[in-house]
Amino acid sequence: MLMVLFPTVMLLPTIWLSPSTQLWTSALAYSVAIALISLSWLCFPMETGWSSVNTFIATDPLSTPLLVLTCWLLPLMILASQNHMAEEPINRQRTYISLLISLQIFLILAFGATEMIMFYIMFEATLIPTLIIITRWGNQTERLNAGVYFLFYTLAGSLPLLVALLLLQNSTGSLSFLTTQLFPPLQLHTEASKFWWAGCMLAFLVKMPLYGAHLWLPKAHVEAPIAGSMILAAVLLKLGGYGMMRIIIILDPLTKQLSYPFIILALWGVVMTGSICLRQTDLKSLIAYSSVSHMGLVAAGILIQTPWGFTGALILMIAHGLTSSALFCLANTNYERTHSRTMLLARGLQMVLPLLATWWFMFTLANLALPPLPNLMGELMIITSLFNWSNWTLLLTGAGTLITASYSLHMFLTTQRGPTTSPILAIEPTHTREHLLMTLHLLPLLLLIFKPTLIWGWAL
Amino acid sequence: MNPYVLSILLMGLGLGTTVTFASSHWLLAWMGLEMNTLAILPLMAQHHHPRAVEAATKYFLIQSAAAATILFASSTNAWLSGQWDIQHITHPLPTVMITIALSLKLGLAPLHAWLPEVVQGLDLTTGLVLSTWQKLAPFALLLQISPEIPLLITSLGLISMLAGGWGGLNHTQLRKVLAYSSVAHLGWMMVVMQFSTSLTALALLMYVIMTTSAFLTFKLLKSTDMNSLAMSWAKTPSVTALAPMMLLSLGGLPPLSGFLPKWLIIQELTKQELGLVATVAALSALLSLFFYLRVCYCLTFTSSPNNLAGVAPWRLESKQISLPLATSTSLSILLLPISPAILSLTLPLF
Repeated sequence: MLMVLFPTVMLLPTIWLSPSTQLWTSALAYSVAIALISLSWLCFPMETGWSSVNTFIATDPLSTPLLVLTCWLLPLMILASQNHMAEEPINRQRTYISLLISLQIFLILAFGATEMIMFYIMFEATLIPTLIIITRWGNQTERLNAGVYFLFYTLAGSLPLLVALLLLQNSTGSLSFLTTQLFPPLQLHTEASKFWWAGCMLAFLVKMPLYGAHLWLPKAHVEAPIAGSMILAAVLLKLGGYGMMRIIIILDPLTKQLSYPFIILALWGVVMTGSICLRQTDLKSLIAYSSVSHMGLVAAGILIQTPWGFTGALILMIAHGLTSSALFCLANTNYERTHSRTMLLARGLQMVLPLLATWWFMFTLANLALPPLPNLMGELMIITSLFNWSNWTLLLTGAGTLITASYSLHMFLTTQRGPTTSPILAIEPTHTREHLLMTLHLLPLLLLIFKPTLIWGWAL
Repeated sequence: MNPYVLSILLMGLGLGTTVTFASSHWLLAWMGLEMNTLAILPLMAQHHHPRAVEAATKYFLIQSAAAATILFASSTNAWLSGQWDIQHITHPLPTVMITIALSLKLGLAPLHAWLPEVVQGLDLTTGLVLSTWQKLAPFALLLQISPEIPLLITSLGLISMLAGGWGGLNHTQLRKVLAYSSVAHLGWMMVVMQFSTSLTALALLMYVIMTTSAFLTFKLLKSTDMNSLAMSWAKTPSVTALAPMMLLSLGGLPPLSGFLPKWLIIQELTKQELGLVATVAALSALLSLFFYLRVCYCLTFTSSPNNLAGVAPWRLESKQISLPLATSTSLSILLLPISPAILSLTLPLF
């Protein structure tokens, strides 16, 4: 664990002391090295599941895929930001990369935390760099409102979590993940326990986001610059899923009664946000709402607390992280050329950027969960376990799958096929950097087809 | 101001607080509080501006009323119990009167209406003294009494947090914003006082550090309202980069030091079975966070994408000594990882 954490911390002096011509190169090179080192976490030798253990941080099959995804994403973010940051003063560029690196540090500590208060502090700590990235480096006036919504929605959910965790510490004496999973069931019979349950879950449901509390997400994703959108979509939403999976283990059996409204909201959100996607004119907004849709499925999978549900949720989180981040990168290639997010302005791109059309095609197929990609594996496992939980959920999940396919197809056909508008004919061809970015998103997805047990978690 | 006069006044300020700290007799404590009030009045009115004189007058009236109430209450206690010892106030009547009088001195809600107007009328340095040094002596008395009236203390605390949060929401003048932030932080200190006086002292210590940093930042940037903060990125880029961290620390966001008192206070409240109070307190912090965030927006997050060579203000070298600002800003950002050490600073106090 320290093998990855210390180099990441030392990236900060590297960034500030590099000469300006080597800044992005060295940032990229060292973060790739760190990402490759992080792959070593993927072997799980320990019987108990927890490996790389020291007093404060450890990895287990649940947190390892998310940790590797986080470490993998830093070089991708640096690659994606190179172009739009090129005209800024050099110290602002250094500050921007430092913000990305500090996010990485907090995320590694969050996913690796063994103690719930440490997880909480790191969970909250990720808010500050993300807020700064969105409000300072976003491109429209709405970014200020987006920052406020992002910060306050998340905090309003997570402050009750702090109270709930401290209450838990009073009754159990310890908040270590290593031991709470082995406790005898808590005595949760009073009315106040129901509020305590809600306090534990609310933070993660807002973060995921659950359909009723999702308003911050389209704003934040749309207004953020590309690195902000990537880290938000790929990792920060998964913090919510990860936290929920950790804490729901001790919340039994109260969850059986209390989780109904949230499962319903999650499934209804899949259908509703999918339908909203069909009516979007803003490309980034479409991808943001599709994130809400996929994470609704993840939330439902976690809330029913079955082995297939958990496994499907984790697989879908990883696969969606890579896919959504890639789609935002593709939308950013449009934005860098036209400085507009309106889909209708950048139509028929297959004629103009044919190589990029391949990437659009691959990631659209990934988004609609084409076999044999892990997206399908995750969705299918969740849908199956939901069907087992109650046959009627198939109506909502089936409709959700259909709507996902429709809006993905709509997005592809609108941006790639059809008539090309005349201003588009004069845009730059695709950079090699952008091809590399797309490859690095697709390669893990394809490789995971061959060994999905890496991202199965400990449930199966 | 004449340096000799200034030194006498500052010595008077220091002596007043020291006398109150060192006293075990109510009359001596009252004398220390009065010395503080009298010493700071010329400092407040030193610029002879009508607004400053108004602030000094309001401050004098409020503080005298509070001091008179303390005198009355301690006399009542002497009548009822026969002794003037500070720590032996047992009868509820003088206890309640002294608590309310000290809340008026500090600026706790619902007795906080004077604080924004007084701080607004002062220059930033005197405002700093008012917000930090003048809080120490009343708190010394409050912590020694440790009033055991749960309803009074908890409601003073909660109402202060909510009044401080809601009151500061619609202001653009930075001194008023800092005054309401003071009210809110005082609420946090009060709410835990009956359970753990060391946590109150810790909250006071962190508040003093963060408020010092805030006032010194605004003094360096020579800005008293949010509009004038907008060009600070051209004057001092490093302060512009660090000040949002300090402001978010005032708001209590992890992983900054301002989170430490809030975390420990919520922990103490949950241990005392006051989960609902803890939740209301935690959520009220969001109110104050909104106006701190707005100051951050004006200061840093709306800074221009490039260096605007044509419209930058004159970059004159500042004559302000930078060590206090640097120290207080670093402390207000970085103390959370050494929380046990910071807690041990105040644990043996009481």
